[in-house]
Amino acid sequence: MNRRYRRTLAVLAMVLTASFLLAVAVGAVWISPWATVRLLAWKLHLTARPHGVPRSTEVILFQLRLPRVVLAGVVGAALAASGAVFQGLFRNPLADPAIIGVSSGAALGAVAVIVFLGSGALGAFGVPLAAFAGALLTALVVYRLARIGPAVHVATLLLAGIAVAAVISSVMSLVMSFSGDQVRDIYAWLLGGLVGQGWSSIEAVMPLVAAGVIAAGLTAHDLNLMALGEERAAQLGVEVGALKRRAVAIGALLAACAVSVAGVIGFVGLMTPHLLRLVVGADHRRLLPAVLLAGPTILILADLVARTVLAPQELPVGVVTALLGGPFFLFLLRREGRRARAVG
Amino acid sequence: MRSGEPALVLDSVTAGYRDVPVLRGVGLQVRRGEVVGLVGPNGSGKTTVVRVASRALRPRSGSVLVAGRDPYAVPAREAARLAAVVPQDLTPAFSFTSLEMVLMGRTPYLSPWGGGGPEDWARARDAMVATSVQHLADRWIEELSGGERRRVVLAQALAQGAPVLLLDEPTTHLDIRHVLDLLRIVRSLAERRGTAVLAILHDLNLAAATCDRLVVLHRGEVVAEGVPDRVVTRGLLRDVYEVELDVVTDELTGRPSVRLGGWRPAGGGHGRRAHVVGGAGRGAPLIRRLAEAGFDVSVGVLHASDTDAVVAERLNLLRVSVPPFSEIDPDSAREARRLMLEAELVLVCDAPYGPGNLENLRLALEVARSGVRTVLLEQVPIAERDFTGGRATELWSALREIAEVVAGYEELAVG
Repeated sequence: MNRRYRRTLAVLAMVLTASFLLAVAVGAVWISPWATVRLLAWKLHLTARPHGVPRSTEVILFQLRLPRVVLAGVVGAALAASGAVFQGLFRNPLADPAIIGVSSGAALGAVAVIVFLGSGALGAFGVPLAAFAGALLTALVVYRLARIGPAVHVATLLLAGIAVAAVISSVMSLVMSFSGDQVRDIYAWLLGGLVGQGWSSIEAVMPLVAAGVIAAGLTAHDLNLMALGEERAAQLGVEVGALKRRAVAIGALLAACAVSVAGVIGFVGLMTPHLLRLVVGADHRRLLPAVLLAGPTILILADLVARTVLAPQELPVGVVTALLGGPFFLFLLRREGRRARAVG
Repeated sequence: MRSGEPALVLDSVTAGYRDVPVLRGVGLQVRRGEVVGLVGPNGSGKTTVVRVASRALRPRSGSVLVAGRDPYAVPAREAARLAAVVPQDLTPAFSFTSLEMVLMGRTPYLSPWGGGGPEDWARARDAMVATSVQHLADRWIEELSGGERRRVVLAQALAQGAPVLLLDEPTTHLDIRHVLDLLRIVRSLAERRGTAVLAILHDLNLAAATCDRLVVLHRGEVVAEGVPDRVVTRGLLRDVYEVELDVVTDELTGRPSVRLGGWRPAGGGHGRRAHVVGGAGRGAPLIRRLAEAGFDVSVGVLHASDTDAVVAERLNLLRVSVPPFSEIDPDSAREARRLMLEAELVLVCDAPYGPGNLENLRLALEVARSGVRTVLLEQVPIAERDFTGGRATELWSALREIAEVVAGYEELAVG
């Protein structure tokens, strides 16, 4: 079992590396993976500057392709980890930061700061922190609404998510009506896009994503017990109230990081943990590393599709993930329904 | 702690949900190495006792001590080292293997970083061996049968290594083999490790046969407590469960055993009385059916060892009986006549009639003539069961003229 798990991780890592090299290579100008590897080795002070690689390639690689692909990876990791945490917390494979409204809340926070204060007003962390505040607030509201007595039911959770997202979306429209010229950019960003982000975005969210991932790792074991129900988790020694607060904060933070740089990208947080649970099992301590390898892969490839299918035009990456994820979500919903009927 | 010391103590615990008190001043003790059964009707508060003891529901007043500590005064982790709960059933939201499930029982000992050290693995393995699920370690929990899954959940609780084990209806949905298996495991734990066990059990016979002591809960209060044969009595069944049932002593175990045949709701009848004149077991089926239909049934006159008399005694019916092989004495006859005259219905069975019970037919004829509805049950002709040289036949014929005649209970209109 353990050997199989290590093999799975190795395969996921290889697929991620391959996706990374492919995504970096493909574009208006082809950059061979070999050139990428050599340039990276040089940048990391491992080798001398490679011969025969044009200066322009170097610029395209480090200024355009790499930031975009790396950002896709970071966002993918954040979304997937956020999805894993929310699914564990809500004991439901249908939970996803976008579906339960947390991403919308993060987006509202971010948009409000951008529109009213300007994106640089609060420093590099301004937008991510505003997104985090929005996400956390939304998560708490949705959680409170979905909670009936001691239990959070799936139906009420999804309904509360929809209702809160609807309110947020109208507030967002209101905020955007103040935005003047920016409206088109913000709209494009909201659909989910990794366009035109430099290293600064990565520097801003990377520490927060890392913190969120570590915190998620420390919560992983307790999340396992949540799968047995809150009362059973408490019987086995979990301080359930504290765990729930912590998990909501972690999920919201990770979702906010993703939203603040890439807008609302749905379904990565839904699909990734679910697919990997089928491969590595439900133990969050094993699921999380796997998800952190697969989430980036999925978003890197989705972004690759988004910028190549209609080249030179670009699709918002959120559209690609929704086209992939929508049917997947419906499939899950049907399966859950059947399972509920079979159990009930 | 040594064996025999109290490991779980509830003292005048009052607890409930919102404004509804479920437990009112409940006190109970479970000592080390002791298996105590918690019984009582549905809604009597049994599960609430387990929730109070397992730190899930803080009592409004009174005290809870688990292994000498107040579980509400320590963190969840520590409380989970004091008492382990075996829930009714467990269906995880996601797929885990049996081993992963059992390892979760080690949660109160894990650091947030670690996946469990060698000791945790060893304890988990031990628990799985104790419940005979070690061969299922790598199987997904939802692939297991109900009995296997329950044993995995039991192993999860055992892995906690707690001195107190609380079982919340551990046997529901299990077949008899798995029920006995599970209780055998629990019993051996109590004996080997001195675990104090409190088990909610619905089946009184099971509880009486397997527990050292029983605690009976009724409407949130402890109404009886002690060794099974002091607790499981007709009086308990009547007062707490509101059924009239017979309790006998099992020859094999020496434990009390509830006889489930011929039950009737206590005080639940409609107050109408039927009198059965039986004998030689011919009355027994009728007596049962009438009792189940809600009649107060009286019988007589019977000979004391007659099957009908035994049934009447078991059902605690009004009855007139005389010693075996004796004739009916005038006092008994007078008593029987009174019962018949006051009854709504007199049923005369097709028993064999001899000198010992001929008086019954005379009484029946007299009562029938005075206008009480009388029904003869006749499946066997009187000629074949007349051992009086014709006197019984005469009386029977006279009865036939004024009474209804039926061939069985089904034909009897008692609406």
